[in-house]
Amino acid sequence: MSTLRYLARKVAWLVVTLYGVVTFNFLLFHVLPGNPVRLLARSGHLTPQAVAEIDRVFGLNHPLGLQYLIYLRDLLHGQLGISYTYREPVSQLLGQYLGNTILLLAGATILTIVLGTLAGVVAARRRGGGFDSMTVTASVIGWALPTFWTGLILVFLLGVWLHAFPIFGMQTPNAVYASPLQHAQDVISHLFLPTLTLVVVNIAQFVLVARAAVIEVLAEDFMVTALAKGLAPRRILWRHAVRNALLPIVTNSALLIGMVVAGAIEVETVFSWPGMGLLVYNSVLNRDYPVIEAAFLVFAVVVLLVNFASDLLYQALDPRVRES
Amino acid sequence: MPVQGQQAGRADAGPAAGEMAQTGSSRRRFLQRAGLLALAVPGASTLLEACASVVASAKASTIRVGWTIEPDTMNPLTAYSTESVEVTQLIYDQLMQYDLELKPEPGLATSWSYSPDGKTITYRLRTGVRWHDGRPFSAADAAFTFELIKSKQIGNFGQWLADMVTARAPDPATLEVTFTRPQAFNPGLAIPILPRHIWQGMSFAQIQKYQNIPAIGTGPYKFGNWRHGQSIEVDRNDDWWGSQPAAKKITWILFQNEDVMAQGLRTGAVDICPEVPPTIWDGLAGAAKIKTVSMKSFSFHHIGINVSDNPRSGGNPLLKDRVVRQALAYAVDRQQLVNVALAGHGIPGSVILMPAFEEYFLKIPASQQYDANPDKARALLDAAGYALKPGSQVRTAKNGKPLSFRLIAIESTSVDVAAAQLFRDACAKVGIQLTLTTLDANSLGNTVYNAQAPNWDIFVWGWDSGVNDPSYMLSVPLCSQIGSNNDVYYCNRHYDQLYDEQAVELNHARRVALVHEAQQFYYDDCAYIVMWYQAKLQAYRTDTWKGWTPLDGGIILNFTRDNYLKVKPV
Repeated sequence: MSTLRYLARKVAWLVVTLYGVVTFNFLLFHVLPGNPVRLLARSGHLTPQAVAEIDRVFGLNHPLGLQYLIYLRDLLHGQLGISYTYREPVSQLLGQYLGNTILLLAGATILTIVLGTLAGVVAARRRGGGFDSMTVTASVIGWALPTFWTGLILVFLLGVWLHAFPIFGMQTPNAVYASPLQHAQDVISHLFLPTLTLVVVNIAQFVLVARAAVIEVLAEDFMVTALAKGLAPRRILWRHAVRNALLPIVTNSALLIGMVVAGAIEVETVFSWPGMGLLVYNSVLNRDYPVIEAAFLVFAVVVLLVNFASDLLYQALDPRVRES
Repeated sequence: MPVQGQQAGRADAGPAAGEMAQTGSSRRRFLQRAGLLALAVPGASTLLEACASVVASAKASTIRVGWTIEPDTMNPLTAYSTESVEVTQLIYDQLMQYDLELKPEPGLATSWSYSPDGKTITYRLRTGVRWHDGRPFSAADAAFTFELIKSKQIGNFGQWLADMVTARAPDPATLEVTFTRPQAFNPGLAIPILPRHIWQGMSFAQIQKYQNIPAIGTGPYKFGNWRHGQSIEVDRNDDWWGSQPAAKKITWILFQNEDVMAQGLRTGAVDICPEVPPTIWDGLAGAAKIKTVSMKSFSFHHIGINVSDNPRSGGNPLLKDRVVRQALAYAVDRQQLVNVALAGHGIPGSVILMPAFEEYFLKIPASQQYDANPDKARALLDAAGYALKPGSQVRTAKNGKPLSFRLIAIESTSVDVAAAQLFRDACAKVGIQLTLTTLDANSLGNTVYNAQAPNWDIFVWGWDSGVNDPSYMLSVPLCSQIGSNNDVYYCNRHYDQLYDEQAVELNHARRVALVHEAQQFYYDDCAYIVMWYQAKLQAYRTDTWKGWTPLDGGIILNFTRDNYLKVKPV
């Protein structure tokens, strides 16, 4: 019963937050200086009448309050509008770019979390040893490297010098594939460098958090008890120490996954990966309100859902959260 | 058509990436020395290399173009970017096209003639031409396109038909277009012919929201596919009326980063890059199997001065004194701007037409240019009573107001920011104070074009000529363009009259003389300080396609599509 009430409260908060985000997004971009039609008018030698007509077609002639109400109405009907730049339904555009971004970042994020945590745990177990100092140093160096620069270095080393990996795009342009498997291979080879870049620059946060958390737990009295009971050291580490050290890792993962949908603009730029980061960047420059609003809505929904999920996961992992 | 917003965008992409290229390549050399190769895992790389080579496609049949700006739409009536035109000009034919010398050549029209009063143009059209969907093309389609653009005033093309009265098709192979006055520029060179059976009956709003995929035209290539953010492909139309081009496909590949684009050219992933930033271009010069080409462009960057007569203008009224504007022009050295901001890849600026217009371009002798003469600037200001008070760095007018102005530039266009800084420092030396603020392109556009109350003093921006005719650039300072393209709110009856005279002058020599007069007049008024005409820097591979012909405006991404149609596989 209390779980149900807890859930209901969380869901109510979710809805209120979403409404706040929607309103804030709308206001934020509409009060920015600039206007989506103005630059088109300059380029095209448009007459003022033609500009007014375009304003009318996209509903930009209405006062801000009315535009807001129309936006809310359309949103409730599931309509995200038409991009001013591409003149294409926003849902269609967003679908493509979101898919690309998830393809790139899902793998990179899972690898970062899993490899980082494993390395951190092993480093904590052999604290002060060679593996420990090497892992910590390497991951901190990775953390300190600028993403853009790391990407370019990998392009030069593995792409241009060794010709080992394609350096741009999601697939070979004009490629004719004999089978879906070959297509998948092509996409995977294109994924390699951007994924490597993301893992290199992000892994430190998991290595260091996992290492610190495990070291802390290993110093607790119950670890000595477990050892005294005669449990195998491996079992002590993974079943008792790591499980207790998972909370900060879950928090970190929730943060990282929340950022996944927002794209990774630096990596997308280096590897010409058509993801959300670039779509949003270009849309802000073009004042393409429908695209920006829809993209930020998606970001907000994902962040909220991930946080919601991590709240639930806390409960499963740690009884103390349940009680409080 | 080459579009202001877009153009600024492109100019901006170039130099920023140019800096990046510099650091990138020097770091590459460092790494080569440091021998960091050991980092690579040889086993994994050979495996993946094998995968990659399996999917590599037949190169000789496809032209692969690398660029960094994505077209906005395939709908030619709502497209604003040069990149969109680059693709749609291969899908749609015009009545007339430009050849590789930028001279008119037959398109859908085999010939054209003017009536004795010059107000009617009669085009003889090809017969037996079919749309990509198999329907027959006729003069009715051409008449429909002209009438549609005239009546709806949509997009870029309305300006060429502003004087049009009617377009009619007396028979399936004849189009007659009548204007209120003679047309020095033949609009057959600018308007893509659309299929009536697809566009008929659409309202303004419907056209504005129309994606036009797949685009159906009569041109040498058919729309293939468009992967947003990645590439656009067109396929050869084997039923085209002209001689068959060699390339079965053309693909434009989008890069988000010029540096990686240049690497793509080196590794053979693309065949030609039509927009290469100066420092990257320098780096490509001399690379194996790559040819770099520098050509004149139809573009310039300029300093614009607010000369609005609008009582609600927030511009500093001192700038309406021509002497002050001439002093600003004299203060700065154009050659220095080219050397510093463009790494030398440009021609110092003067008049509002670009040198690529050849005979239309007015060459002003160096001694008569407002350029690189701070002493003259000081003398002019002294004579006009803008005195330097002892101990002050800034001159003041007789009414006590200082010569202190706001200067705005687009922050991401690093050439413009560099130029603005040089300009500011040069002006300080003659006693004029400029305060530089940088904005994003959209905000700057909105500030400059706030026609109700333009509240700014001086900006840095640029222009591309939308067509290969002087009228596009010359029309910018017209009184009638205030509220549209006129970015400095210049308005002068004499200039307007010169423009009108040249626009209806069908005699070439007389038109050239009028165009020269208009340029000189506007130049002397110094509302524009043209900083430079940047070079068009392109690069292509020599081992895939041969026969790329350099010309004013560029091998591709130019007013002519013929290079795509004429190249042959090596």
